[in-house]
Amino acid sequence: MRLLVEAVRSAAAQPVATVVTGLIIAGACAVILATTGQSVQAEQQVLSRIDEAGTRSIVISDTVGDAGITNEAVDRITRLSGVDWAVGLGPATDVRAAGIPGGNPAAIRFLYGDFPPQIRAARQPTQIGEAVVGPEAQKTLGLQVPVGGVVGETDYAVVGAFDASDPLVFLNRSLIARPGPDQRALRSIHILVTDPARVADVTDAALLVLGVDNATSVAVETSETLAALRAAVAGELGRFSRQLVAIVLGAGLVLTALAVYGAVTSRRKDFGRRRALGASRPTIIALVALQTGVAAVSGAVIGTVITGVALTQTSGQAPDTPFTMAIAILAVLTAVLAAIPPAVVAAYRDPVRVLRVP
Amino acid sequence: MIKVDGLTFGYKSTETIIDGLNYHFDAGLVTAVTGPSGRGKSTLLYLIGLLLSPWTGSVRVEEAEVSSWSDMRRSVFRASQVGFVFQDAALDASRTVLDNIVESSLYNRMSRRHAVTRAVELMDRFGVALRSDHKPGEVSGGQAQRIALCRALVAEPDIVLADEPTGNLDVATAQVVVDTLVHLAYDEGRTVVIATHDPTIVSICDQVLEL
Repeated sequence: MRLLVEAVRSAAAQPVATVVTGLIIAGACAVILATTGQSVQAEQQVLSRIDEAGTRSIVISDTVGDAGITNEAVDRITRLSGVDWAVGLGPATDVRAAGIPGGNPAAIRFLYGDFPPQIRAARQPTQIGEAVVGPEAQKTLGLQVPVGGVVGETDYAVVGAFDASDPLVFLNRSLIARPGPDQRALRSIHILVTDPARVADVTDAALLVLGVDNATSVAVETSETLAALRAAVAGELGRFSRQLVAIVLGAGLVLTALAVYGAVTSRRKDFGRRRALGASRPTIIALVALQTGVAAVSGAVIGTVITGVALTQTSGQAPDTPFTMAIAILAVLTAVLAAIPPAVVAAYRDPVRVLRVP
Repeated sequence: MIKVDGLTFGYKSTETIIDGLNYHFDAGLVTAVTGPSGRGKSTLLYLIGLLLSPWTGSVRVEEAEVSSWSDMRRSVFRASQVGFVFQDAALDASRTVLDNIVESSLYNRMSRRHAVTRAVELMDRFGVALRSDHKPGEVSGGQAQRIALCRALVAEPDIVLADEPTGNLDVATAQVVVDTLVHLAYDEGRTVVIATHDPTIVSICDQVLEL
């Protein structure tokens, strides 16, 4: 602790060396945030757009209606590793608003499984004979409010509305009802996996536990191609970012090493005195490294804050906080690393040569 | 007591400065190391102070062969047992007088509070207390040397090594420094070694080693 205080005092007592080191680190942080930081944000936006397209979804369909997919398959698939959620959908049938004779029909489907976060509904159908209506289906049916009755093969009471998003946005054109105990046959199972990289594995596992009567009627749609595209984009942009960070930090390392070497060379008498007073070589090395670290921390804070404010004002978007923190820490560690060789030179220099008066 | 046996050293492999020296420096006495320039007076002090390692021979302190110790152990010994006084004071110009005096406490595990208390006593004793918050550039050469003396004594070392301590001083200030060094030996039982070619100082020393 006292060595750290001594390092702070030494840094304050040698403003030129401190400012030069601080400026180098501030510059490195600024360059990285202004280039790679923007690239990382662009990468995140691209990946976010790809993810919106459903890189994690799998749809297993009964194309003919004789495959024999049952609601038990949904339970088995939900329990698979890597599955975020799975829901089953029954066959679609037409219903019309009860109070509007000759009105337009909309499809109603049974949904088996828990409502996933992608279906937002103030009230879910809890009993057999209850249904919720999607926004497009509500317009189609001509319902002013999402309550009332619909008639078809079976009559239902509409108890509320829902709004679905990707990958279930197509449900907005329909009504959703809870299945009865004898309504076990499903026409499709929709699965969301936890990670795009697991789409292929989960697909294979889901088909294994599907347990159908006629596998030839089963079709599978996956986002595997999209997931591969996502991985390629992430890999390519990530590689570019890492290279740029390495180049900038490498330049910072060399410049810091030269600056610290210059500083310790001009302070030969200081280190000679310290050695005569009892400072060991490791103490001298630690002192130089800590002093450089103090300057680097100041530079990293100044560099990231100024660049962050500038980027926020010019692009309207603040740099990613974890990325900014990581760059600041990496820059400080680089500076400390750069200080080690000059510190070793200072520690091993013969103190007597500088202490002797001719 | 410091004892050197067969001490041999040179800065260049072809040039021996000290060749097979045998001597002992007794505690409670002042020893003058004298001789013409370039004969190794300062070098002998740096060998005794463990800043240099002899080519051959040894430096013993109370029978311990300290010259063969590791750098870390020698540094600890130097920080706690040796006080150096250099000809040009060798103060850190960027720090205050008080900071300069307590600097060695950073290396010898003495608490800063204790070091400051001890430094204040020494500054009072040597008449530089009013200068404690000044920078070395703001004090005279005589005051700087007294500050260096305070720094050498703050850890209460058993050995005090003074390299031409009065070289840059006026007669009155030089007398204060010499009196202090004598007092350290006689009244406090320390081993005091002074490298000097000043006949006045040599005349008051108990032992004289001529190189």
